[in-house]
Amino acid sequence: MVRAGVDGILYQDSLSSLTVVSERESQQSGVTQRDGFAATQTPPSRYSGARRTPRKSFIVVLPENHVVSADLVAERLSGERDNGEVDVILACAGQPSSIALLQRKVRDLQILLAPAGTSGEDLRELAMNQAPGDIVTLLSGTPA
Amino acid sequence: MKTEESEYSRSSSVPQPVSGGLPLSVIVSTRNSKSTLRQVLAAIRVSEQPRDSYEIIVVDDASSDGSVAIAARYADTVVKLTGHPAGPAYARNRGVELARGAVVAFVDGDVVVRPDTLPRLLAVLRERPEIDAVSASRDESAGAPNFISQYWNLLLSFGEQRHSGRCAQFAPGCGLVRRDAFLSAGMYDEWRFDTGSMESIELGERLLGAGHGVILSSELTVTHLKRWSFGSVCQEVWHRSRVLARSLGYFRMSAAAPGEVVFTLCRSLIPAVALLGTLLLAAAFVPAPHPSAKFGVALAAMLLTNLPVHRFYASTRGFWFAILAAPLHVFVQIVAAMALCTGWILRDVFGDVSPDATTQAYSEVGLEIWPPVPRRL
Repeated sequence: MVRAGVDGILYQDSLSSLTVVSERESQQSGVTQRDGFAATQTPPSRYSGARRTPRKSFIVVLPENHVVSADLVAERLSGERDNGEVDVILACAGQPSSIALLQRKVRDLQILLAPAGTSGEDLRELAMNQAPGDIVTLLSGTPA
Repeated sequence: MKTEESEYSRSSSVPQPVSGGLPLSVIVSTRNSKSTLRQVLAAIRVSEQPRDSYEIIVVDDASSDGSVAIAARYADTVVKLTGHPAGPAYARNRGVELARGAVVAFVDGDVVVRPDTLPRLLAVLRERPEIDAVSASRDESAGAPNFISQYWNLLLSFGEQRHSGRCAQFAPGCGLVRRDAFLSAGMYDEWRFDTGSMESIELGERLLGAGHGVILSSELTVTHLKRWSFGSVCQEVWHRSRVLARSLGYFRMSAAAPGEVVFTLCRSLIPAVALLGTLLLAAAFVPAPHPSAKFGVALAAMLLTNLPVHRFYASTRGFWFAILAAPLHVFVQIVAAMALCTGWILRDVFGDVSPDATTQAYSEVGLEIWPPVPRRL
């Protein structure tokens, strides 16, 4: 388990275990874990550690007391997941009760749990601190 | 939804236009703009433009101040560029590659739009099909209250307001361009412009040259929040003037973008020098005047030729502001003149600017990496 900023707890839903973002992934994304907090390091050169294609992350924001629209999220992700590795982070406040369906539809879903009362904007910021992607897309987990 | 391949296939020179997208993509390029970014993005979010008709893409050019976290609070997509900063031209191009909008709006990380700015600029493109790029000029109220910021903002505003209309002045602060026109013109020149300020004028001139309509609106204005110091103003003037002389061509651009601040500075400098020379020559035929008289004559010549600028300062900020700005203005003019001469010498000795050897080598072999190697036009 790893602390997400000050308030959030991030875990990955794979093999039903609480998994932190691995050290290798952290190094690739330029994020290191120090004393439980995430810190960004700037590589010395624009091309050092460069990848062939940008790494993509999706952040699905689920405000407190909202029900996630699993179909909507899965539809949005379907085209992207076919094109290589995509990280998906569900950022939610409080105790979400409706994410089981999304967990089944999106493999390796990472869930960021923030305390009840955390605003949507704070959720986005917390999740961004954990997103390893070069291109991060932020989605609402609920229908507009 | 676009695929990764279509977005980042570096084998083709430019990304292909997308269909079925949004009317507008707002691209905010930022670098270490934490202090202003929240206000900038919040202003876009409260725009009168319906929220479901545009997307916000923030491209962070290797910031070290946590701008990305601020961007995440408001943006739909955040692009994180790593390594050393590549410049706003490069950052905006990366944003366009992801944009789904038929029209692309470029907003800088220190520019606050009014609620009606985006819809009214968009309306110009909708109502006038012959226009492909339209931008808002800066207003007279600089966000930073210090004297230097006020002076510099008014100087830029003076040029933009006097030479608004059809010109190559595609204002970098807030400008809209049809995506197809932008792509067909070759996008921003990220190869030559790795720092900000002149890349938008170069793009405007290229758009005009390709037959696209480009206008600068004096009615629609935006507020620039950047805080300027004496050093940063001199640095900016030096950079703009040098790039203008070395890469763009002074006389060609003076016709295409007469509102550029370098021309505002130098247009009055040439007659001032001529007038001063004439007076000094005349002084050779009369008994030697007192040194203070010579100084007075020189100052009078500079003030006389800069009269429109000083009148503008007096009308907007008052008489004493104009008096205080006069010596600063003369100094900035001298910096601009020296930088122009430096640019001409550099152009003749070394030629046009180009990226470092590593970038040139990577470009030569067509290396496909992220962040991509700057593309040559």
